[in-house]
Amino acid sequence: MFKLNFKIALRNLWKNKGFTLINAGGLAIGLASCMILLLYVAYEWEYDKQFTDYDNTYIIYKNDPVSDQVYTNAWTPGVMAAEIREKISGVKYASRSTYPSNMLITYKNDSYKKQAVHTEPSFLKILDYKFLKGDPNTALQSINSVVLTESLAKTLFGDSDPIGKELKLDNKEPLRVEGVISDVPENSSIQFDYLMSWTLFEKTNPWVKNTDWGSNFCLTMLQLKSNKYFDQANSQMKELVGRNDSDTGVEAFMHPLSKWHLYNDFENGKLVGGSIDQLKIFALLAGCILLIACINFMNLSTARSEKRAREVGVRKAIGSSRSSLIGQFMLESVLLSLMGMIVAFMLMEISLPYFNNLLNLELVLAYRDWKFWGMLVALTLFAGLIAGSYPAFYLSSFEPVKVLKGFSARGGSSLPVRKILVVFQFVFAACLIVCTSVIYQQLDFIKRKPIGYDKGNLIQLTAHGTLKDQKKLPLLKTLLIKSGAASHVSNFSTDISSGGNNTTGIAWPGKNPKNDILFNTRGTGYDFVKTIGTEMVSGRAFSARFKDSTNVIVNEAAVKAMGLKDPIGTVLEWGDDRHTIIGVMKDFVVESAYRDVAPMLFYPDYLDDISVILVRINPSQNITSSVAKIDEIVKQFNPAYPIERTFVNDAFETKFDDEKLLGTLANWFGGFAVFISCLGLLGLALYMAEQRKKEISIRKVLGASTYNILTLLNKDFIKLVAIANLIAFPLAYIIINKWLSGYEFRIQISILPFAIAIALSLIIAILTVSVQSVKVAKANPVDALKYE
Amino acid sequence: MIELKDIEKYYASKGVKSYILRHVSTTIKQGEFVSIMGPSGAGKSTLLNILGMLEEPTYGSYSFMGEDVTTLNERKRIELYRNHIGFVFQAYHLIDEMTVEENIEAPLLYKKVPGAERRSRVADILDRFNMVAKKDLFPNQLSGGQQQLVGIARALVAQPSIILADEPTGNLQSAQALQIMELFKKLNEEEGITIIQVTHSEVNAAYGSRILHLLDGVIKEDVNL
Ligand SMILES: Nc1ncnc2c1ncn2[C@@H]1O[C@H](COP(=O)(O)OP(=O)(O)OP(=O)(O)O)[C@@H](O)[C@H]1O
Ligand SMILES: [Mg+2]
Repeated sequence: MFKLNFKIALRNLWKNKGFTLINAGGLAIGLASCMILLLYVAYEWEYDKQFTDYDNTYIIYKNDPVSDQVYTNAWTPGVMAAEIREKISGVKYASRSTYPSNMLITYKNDSYKKQAVHTEPSFLKILDYKFLKGDPNTALQSINSVVLTESLAKTLFGDSDPIGKELKLDNKEPLRVEGVISDVPENSSIQFDYLMSWTLFEKTNPWVKNTDWGSNFCLTMLQLKSNKYFDQANSQMKELVGRNDSDTGVEAFMHPLSKWHLYNDFENGKLVGGSIDQLKIFALLAGCILLIACINFMNLSTARSEKRAREVGVRKAIGSSRSSLIGQFMLESVLLSLMGMIVAFMLMEISLPYFNNLLNLELVLAYRDWKFWGMLVALTLFAGLIAGSYPAFYLSSFEPVKVLKGFSARGGSSLPVRKILVVFQFVFAACLIVCTSVIYQQLDFIKRKPIGYDKGNLIQLTAHGTLKDQKKLPLLKTLLIKSGAASHVSNFSTDISSGGNNTTGIAWPGKNPKNDILFNTRGTGYDFVKTIGTEMVSGRAFSARFKDSTNVIVNEAAVKAMGLKDPIGTVLEWGDDRHTIIGVMKDFVVESAYRDVAPMLFYPDYLDDISVILVRINPSQNITSSVAKIDEIVKQFNPAYPIERTFVNDAFETKFDDEKLLGTLANWFGGFAVFISCLGLLGLALYMAEQRKKEISIRKVLGASTYNILTLLNKDFIKLVAIANLIAFPLAYIIINKWLSGYEFRIQISILPFAIAIALSLIIAILTVSVQSVKVAKANPVDALKYE
Repeated sequence: MIELKDIEKYYASKGVKSYILRHVSTTIKQGEFVSIMGPSGAGKSTLLNILGMLEEPTYGSYSFMGEDVTTLNERKRIELYRNHIGFVFQAYHLIDEMTVEENIEAPLLYKKVPGAERRSRVADILDRFNMVAKKDLFPNQLSGGQQQLVGIARALVAQPSIILADEPTGNLQSAQALQIMELFKKLNEEEGITIIQVTHSEVNAAYGSRILHLLDGVIKEDVNL
């Protein structure tokens, strides 16, 4: 029985090649889209879960109450890890580490800038990276110990054994390779190329030793013996900072490592979500696309039901039971979905590189992973069964007598179902079109929003080697400006497009002791204001003409937060030092472009290291040649180090990565959804045309023109698509409004996206249907009537 | 073998009942060859479909080999049907996607006849109908008469005790029709298969042993030849 059914199923599919193609193709696109999205979801979901005990590993976060808000971040004091080991119950390991930063590593004459982390041996206990060489138990204990990733080891030493080799950090500190680990997985939050000891960090940064509970520069991690200690440990953690640093009100808490990546959005100290929200959208999208593909499949299959109705009748008349008919149709459906899956495979293999490129990922089809296969088989069966179920049950319910009597498919009852399915598809498609347009509008809006300075034609050079040398900097400045390539040059203590040091340890006259404010603190060079293209609201900027060593500048947000009426001349206490405000700078964005600018305090650069040189390219010169000139000068000035230069504009772009990703994915998969929906529409059109063949022929004989017939045929579909749009609009409005509400700065939802949706879906629908109806309308009426 | 008592059938449309069959009562014994005749629209096909369990009467009782068909559940009915009834249609109704051989084999599959026996029975029938050479052809590659032969072969292969035929020769030329009628007669006489056919042709009816005349849903005459 099965064999025959199988054979017949194949024959049937072969006989209706066009139909098989449309149907399997639609399903394939649906399955491939769904799989790729799920692959991405799984990739994100598996973030930081590669470690054996990830489940009881926690990242220490702290809540900083600042005026009426609470800021949450994972920057913790260096003294914390030791205290945790001592005071918190159930702790197995605790470690502190620096956040990864680019540092120069040299072997013989080859130097590379690679991501480095300074940390303690316990770090390797908590995160059990796979040691390819060396001993994880002894690594990082001596001051000169370094652990390399496999690829860095390869870059440095080729195929020779790295263990025991001597390296240099920043051309100064000697390092000895004590271990090689396999590369850090892509979906791991802490990305580095080599690990070095904490003691070395203290040696190269002497200030570290004297830091207390007020200065936050570490990532602190802990691992519990078991999660049953969590509640106790977490409540002890809450008091930890307060006990040592009483009046700041800072509370530390434990955030699971497994949630670090996806649950990273805190508002007023409460977890409110994070990328997980976006991930959920993608998972939903995956499901919906699969659903649409299945609906499509059903529609196309039932469209052929008229032709198969007779077969059903005959089969029943020669003794087939209903269940065996259902079996036959299910089999065909599963077979078709298998074909779809094979095509989907090819589609995935072809498109994955493109998507990886687009999303900056390295997703691969894990052929050796049973989970992957399980998922694949489950999806195929699911699609096949779901999609096959409607035709199977519908077709098998035909009563043989009716069918055999010269039946016309139960048009009356089956059509509404199919229409509803098509409407459903287009609701989804229209929703996607609206949402995608709004996402792009919002992205555009945020990008156009003034950020407080001119980020175009602004170059940022990483300050290393001689570039860090305060005394030589003026010379570089002169060289650059004299060459005509640069109009202004300055320096800054942090990458200008990212977050960095902050403190709550600042007091001002009239400050409520309970009311701490978190200030971003930045060291700036001379000409900073002119270089980045912002302006002073009042007072003056730092200048070589004055002695500014105890003076500071604040931004407008800081003035507002402190509630100062007349900020100039106000004396601030910062730790034990006193600083006078000499100017107020206009607010500019360093962190999120979606939020209000946070208070910031600027101090003259000699208090801190310089981490970037900012160069304003001379607007009257050719940019390319200016950049080349700058490179040349910097190379001469600092020959031992590679040039690390970025355009601030590009760096700033990365702030929109999330939204861009969402936009791109919504765009692509929305496009697929629309495409699949159109296949569904095509199916319905085929069906309708088949049904109305006779009617159309008679009309033509009576004198209707092709145009008359076309309007007649398209009218119904236009109605369907219009209805779908009407249903979609409120839905889309609710969804996109919710999405927008996550942004402090957002656009007003306008009528435009809705207009786009209705226009686009109608045009596409009419085009699709017309492919079929033109054929019918143009057909010779005699052909159809002859067979009556 | 078949006992109909007061069979009624009507369709209600817009509250108006239109009767197709009224008070049809009759008995058909094993081994009879019955022809149902009557003008178009008299309800012949409806009656045959009811006999063949493809349709249910609105009222009345129908017992087939001692079992009350109207009260049987679907599964039992299909069972009874599979084992005893072979249907032959005016429009042949072969399955286009199956070859001649597969068409003939299909009822055996539904009956779950084991493979070896299935093959031998199909081979026998093919042989008997002289269609061995055509077994791999599809229905649309056969002439009407040949298709009807396949239809009959399909009805016979399950070794039914009764064959129901609705104008089996309606689409055929008289020569072919004659051949089919001869076949029916032979089956009836040599194998004792009960045959009930609907026909418009006196000639065809003459092959049988009994004629039921149907007029407006009522049996007007019951003639034994
Ligand atoms: N589904 C239905 N709804 C309403 N009336 C029906 C239906 N099916 C059949 N009829 C009516 O029942 C009557 C009998 O139909 P039937 O097919 O039994 O006639 P028949 O005697 O076989 O005619 P013919 O010789 O033309 O085949 C006809 O008048 C037909 O209009
Ligand atoms: Mg009839």
